[in-house]
Amino acid sequence: MISQARPALLALLTSLLLSACVSPAWDDHDYALKAGKTAESAVSAVRFARSAVAYRERITGPYAEVLLTEAVQDLSSVNDQFGGVQPPSDASDRIRDEVLRLTEKAESEVEDLLIQARRDGVKDPATALRDLDRLASELSDFAEKHR
Amino acid sequence: MKRLVGVTLGILTAFGGFVDIGDLVANAVVGSRFGMSLAWVVVVGIIGICVFAEMSGRIAAVSQRPVFDLVRERMGPRAGLVNLGASFFINVLTLAAEIGGAALALELVTGLNYLLWVPPVALVAWLVMWRVKFDTMERVFGLAGLALVVFLVALWQLGPDWGALTTQLVRPPQDEGVPTYLYYAIALLGGAMTPYEVFFFSSGGVEEKWTRKDLVTARANVFVGFPLGGVLSLTIAACAATVFMPVAAEPDSLGQMVLPVAEGLGRIGLGVVILGVFAATFGATLETALSSGYSLSQYFGWQWGKYVAPGRAARFHVTVLASVIVATALILTTIDPIKVTEYSLVFSAAALPLTYLPVLMIANDPDYMGEKVNGRFSNLLGSFYMVLLLVVALAAIPLMLATKAGQ
Repeated sequence: MISQARPALLALLTSLLLSACVSPAWDDHDYALKAGKTAESAVSAVRFARSAVAYRERITGPYAEVLLTEAVQDLSSVNDQFGGVQPPSDASDRIRDEVLRLTEKAESEVEDLLIQARRDGVKDPATALRDLDRLASELSDFAEKHR
Repeated sequence: MKRLVGVTLGILTAFGGFVDIGDLVANAVVGSRFGMSLAWVVVVGIIGICVFAEMSGRIAAVSQRPVFDLVRERMGPRAGLVNLGASFFINVLTLAAEIGGAALALELVTGLNYLLWVPPVALVAWLVMWRVKFDTMERVFGLAGLALVVFLVALWQLGPDWGALTTQLVRPPQDEGVPTYLYYAIALLGGAMTPYEVFFFSSGGVEEKWTRKDLVTARANVFVGFPLGGVLSLTIAACAATVFMPVAAEPDSLGQMVLPVAEGLGRIGLGVVILGVFAATFGATLETALSSGYSLSQYFGWQWGKYVAPGRAARFHVTVLASVIVATALILTTIDPIKVTEYSLVFSAAALPLTYLPVLMIANDPDYMGEKVNGRFSNLLGSFYMVLLLVVALAAIPLMLATKAGQ
């Protein structure tokens, strides 16, 4: 019975590992699609950070901090994952630079907001909201272009 | 009057206890990406869990023996062991997800990292299972889970475009591929028909000493309480479709999933929803941990249950404790509890036929059920679901690989 169960267990573990992998980019088109997906994930994180700032008066401090912390972690993970994919050509290098400029800026801005929230709260919420909206819009445009 | 109160309390407990971390995660993610276009899966799942939970409750009430006790006898030790292995693995995975969910709820209140809350949650859960009476434990957390009704109030307060939500019911988003759509349909079905719910329901029936007289109560719990829980699941999806979908935000944490309530109802709503999430996940922690003990003890014929002194059911209690320790260790590896939940949903879906086939066979066997054997309608529905669950089981893992777990 145990020897019969072994292949099933192996298949289960392999499937878990495979589904968690970041696959390489096969060509420029594939790389561009990955860049588009990266921008989409970054938009999502920026939107949650925006909600934490926009609804700061209606939610608790610890909850706002959790939202901002998660947004930073998501953006950091997005940058790490996409940064690890090898661009297949010079054309892909340009796409890489463009998307990482946006996602790294998003990570830095949200990180600043988290630091402020942990101290005395976000200093200039109106400006922060404007900046996050602009970033989300640029990332959305990029994602749309590389869908 | 006393009976009516008992039935009402049972329904409310089933309602409040229906939603767990799997339902929360699956419905929030699906609502944000697919709007209400997968609502039909929730309906199919609710009908399915009602069909099989009614059968397992009837089996418990008529034979005074829970399902797993009969699986080995009816299907033989080998088939029973395959069934046990799959169920036990999924149970422990679900237990880990529930412990992580309760810890995440505490993080939202305190701001302290959830990993710090994992050991206390596990310890308190074990103490509750050790010390608190079965019906008290079930009622307290089931009723506290009713706090999740706040999603319904929040939805109303958010003022969604009801026309758009209705249109989504029949029109999936064009930018999502068919495999991803089907993958999430399977995850939703896995969430609605999680195997532990049936083990816990039938073993709970034996713990509470159900007889044929209690069939009305059991059926009321199933046919009223579970569908109400299903309405709550749909409300969570509708909240996500209203708040997240228009801005292309996809929640991947518990904190993000409760955001619609915070946006709609402010701090009070946030407090209530966190209470509800904690009650739902902590209650499900108890149910999954006990289900691990139930399934193993019933298969091997050990003395089991909370109605006997721990000293007389030592192996049952050791199994429960060991399951809690393993699940806690898994979450403490820093694996994301939401990811664990997502995988547990898909593996649940893959193992659904193993869980529900024995229930259908035993409920249809006059040697066990006497005149309370399945009627034609139950058999027809049961057989339809077995075919459906078989297709789902075959498709679950390939779809997970093809879509990279729904990415």
